[in-house]
Amino acid sequence: MKKYDAVVIGGGNGGLVAAIRLLQGGAKTLLVEKHNIPGGFATSFRRGRFEFEASLHELNDFGTADNAGDVRVLFDELGVTDKVEWLQIPEAYRVIAREEKIDATMPFGKQAFIDKMESYVPGSRKSMEKFFALAEEIRDAQAYSNSVNGKTDQKVMLDKYANFVKCGSYSVNEVLDAIKMPKKTKDILNAYWCYLGAHCDDLSFLHYASMVLRYVTKGAAMPKSRSHEISLAMVERIRELGGDVWFNTEAVKIITGKDGGVEGVVLKNGEEIKTRHVIANCSPHIVYGRMIDNVDERIIKETNARKFAGRGFTMFLGLNKSADELGIENHNYFLYDTMDTVKQYDLMKKIESNSVQATVCLNRAYPDCSPAGTCMMYFTTLYMTDDWANVKPEDYFKVKDFVANKMIERFEQDTGCNIRDSIEEISVATPMTYARYCGHPEGGIYGYESQYWDGLMPRLLMMAEDHKTRGLRFAGGFSMRLSGYSSAYFSGDITGRQTVGDIKREG
Amino acid sequence: MAFKFKKQLFGFMDLLRFKKLVPNRRAAFDAASSAPLPKTFKVNETAKILHPGNQTAKLVEIVKETADTKTYTFELSKKMFFRAGQYVEVSANVDGSLVNRPYAISSSPLTALKEGKLSVTVKKAGFFSNWLFDNANVGDEMIIGDPSGQFHYEAIKDEEVVVGIAGGSGITPFYSMAKAISEGVEDFKLILLYGAKTEKDIAFKEQLDSLVSDKFKVVYVLSDEKKNDKYESGFITKELIAKYAPEKFTVMACGPQAMYAFLDKQLSSMGIGGKRVKKEANCVSARDVKKAEYNITVHIRDNVYTVKADSRETVLVAMERAGLKVPSKCRAGGCGFCHSKLVSGKFSIAGADKRRLADLKFGYIHPCCSYPDSDMEIIVPAGLE
Repeated sequence: MKKYDAVVIGGGNGGLVAAIRLLQGGAKTLLVEKHNIPGGFATSFRRGRFEFEASLHELNDFGTADNAGDVRVLFDELGVTDKVEWLQIPEAYRVIAREEKIDATMPFGKQAFIDKMESYVPGSRKSMEKFFALAEEIRDAQAYSNSVNGKTDQKVMLDKYANFVKCGSYSVNEVLDAIKMPKKTKDILNAYWCYLGAHCDDLSFLHYASMVLRYVTKGAAMPKSRSHEISLAMVERIRELGGDVWFNTEAVKIITGKDGGVEGVVLKNGEEIKTRHVIANCSPHIVYGRMIDNVDERIIKETNARKFAGRGFTMFLGLNKSADELGIENHNYFLYDTMDTVKQYDLMKKIESNSVQATVCLNRAYPDCSPAGTCMMYFTTLYMTDDWANVKPEDYFKVKDFVANKMIERFEQDTGCNIRDSIEEISVATPMTYARYCGHPEGGIYGYESQYWDGLMPRLLMMAEDHKTRGLRFAGGFSMRLSGYSSAYFSGDITGRQTVGDIKREG
Repeated sequence: MAFKFKKQLFGFMDLLRFKKLVPNRRAAFDAASSAPLPKTFKVNETAKILHPGNQTAKLVEIVKETADTKTYTFELSKKMFFRAGQYVEVSANVDGSLVNRPYAISSSPLTALKEGKLSVTVKKAGFFSNWLFDNANVGDEMIIGDPSGQFHYEAIKDEEVVVGIAGGSGITPFYSMAKAISEGVEDFKLILLYGAKTEKDIAFKEQLDSLVSDKFKVVYVLSDEKKNDKYESGFITKELIAKYAPEKFTVMACGPQAMYAFLDKQLSSMGIGGKRVKKEANCVSARDVKKAEYNITVHIRDNVYTVKADSRETVLVAMERAGLKVPSKCRAGGCGFCHSKLVSGKFSIAGADKRRLADLKFGYIHPCCSYPDSDMEIIVPAGLE
């Protein structure tokens, strides 16, 4: 029987990083991926003369060599930064909200961001400065916490990071109200909320503020050859370090021993791999629901308590005119019905009522990403309930078209661009597509929702307590850092290093 | 610290609230259900109907359509639904190795979903189709893959009218579309120009005629025979297209390469191209070079094989001839399913290769459309289990 120190199940963003960390820690590592290519959502696909990015809008917290974000620092350590050609996204975002009649385009750079906000909302400067001061303290506190592996000294926390602790239990809106931010400023600032998928009455301020800070101060990056380039670079690195990567290889069971700890993994072809350590880059629902027998009741309760976050829908368009010809001015657009995020979240529960979109035209960051005289766009939305479960197979293709049509109409109405007549290629991914490729329950793309009780801070505080099965740890969007590219990479980093420690301690 | 944050009147209340984050989460866990976790989810089950993966299927009927064309109908073991115009991979055990070929589906999507039956119509042309013709029997078990391909109507970008151009066995996907239109599963108008050599080479004539409606029209075009005025004769020219097509239409074509070469000229002289033309890709076949023999070292998981390769055949064929179980689907370089890492060696590519940019950068190939030009070493994903 083959034997490995650790087996990583799933080659998504979290799993790939975890595998590199395991190998760097000296562990003999096997990564199994059920699909024929790596990356999970981090991939690309070809249609006609276009190569579409499958999921990445912009990579947060990467920065540049001179102004490195934490993801770049991590990639440097992993040895993958230089395997990828990077480009910078030109501006933060353009948000168009119908109810509030907002149309604001925000730049990167703290001062520029504050100044631009002041031009849209005179008198907002003071509250924006407070927002950034809080956000910076949050990042400093998080850096301190990471440096002591989460074992923070309460005195240090209260002396140096009191604001962090004091605002740490509140939602985005609670904190923004407390610092007396004008409503319109909040509305513009909250545009990124759909990247985290919980509304701003529920979403942790800590989480949101640290994300916004990183976008604004580090900018956003993109690999030139789409996220497939990052994923292949990671596989390259794993193989350089002597790791094994097996594609079209699905793990179906995790074998546990008398102590309940991991003893091996069973593959779909029946082959058994002996290992005492598994990093699962998939959901606890799948792992505890069907991969492990005799799961402890407490773990079942904890898994049942979690709420699935947004289920994905993306339309990809290859257009036979350039962005200039079509009048597409910006790299990314957030189109909302309302900046009342609770109301907006409710509208996103149903196929019928959801027409929110986060839309990207990659040519605005990278003009040569498609042939001259063409451009590419992708339009993404989330469904906040399992409404796609109500779509019967025989209606599926029509519902797909219904939503795609709505997205095109919405974009045309809100921006005044005519794109419909120029569509040369179209491809649509629904929750069924995401369920097919990554196997996530209900076609979710955001892991477990960042609800108030299950947000970033409580998950980090309970990381040790959540580790209940010897030899089993989780990486990716369902784990302690929540979803999103940067978060998934960090989760793989944390879990990979923790497992190296486990191997040293437990063998 | 530029300022002191305070939400509640007394700052320590904020601290207290922070301390409750952990007990809060424990309490939410305490309150949760201990019912068994769901084994699956509705959306994931629907996804399996749309993409069932490989399945065993029993051959239940063989119908001879013309002298060199037969329809094979299978009883599926898994539910399936697809877009009319798509293909499936059919695999069977031929002399101890699993041989796979993609064939267009000739039955309707609803027949697969409601009756669990799927048909492919195959022209006797190559190794596997010859084997099917001579050896396949009712009752045989074969493997049917996922419905695949983009050769289907796309309401958002295509015109309301599609002029379908079928050459020979290229009729197959259009027959499925005509049925799907009559069943209300597809919603567009199809004007089909169906080219065949002679009247007796027309497959599905009776069935196609019976499907004619305000949404479906069929015109038979005989190249080698002059018949009565119910048939057109000659090739499918721009004059013929203009005669039957309305002002605005999308072209969908399925047939041999020679037909595409002729059609391209017709369409470009009509000013039709780009998004208005969709052609189904044909499998990559052998190339015309001097025969040479190479060794290909193939890594699949932790197994290493050395297989002989003929310079005239693709890397995929070499692996299949050696009995290796490797992934394949479109066999035309388009779907990326055989995506493999090149460790060393030289190769040439057949036309339709659609590798991604990063594949080129990191040295990946599509064995289905790559011919060996030297000894090679490649890392290949396992074939589907």
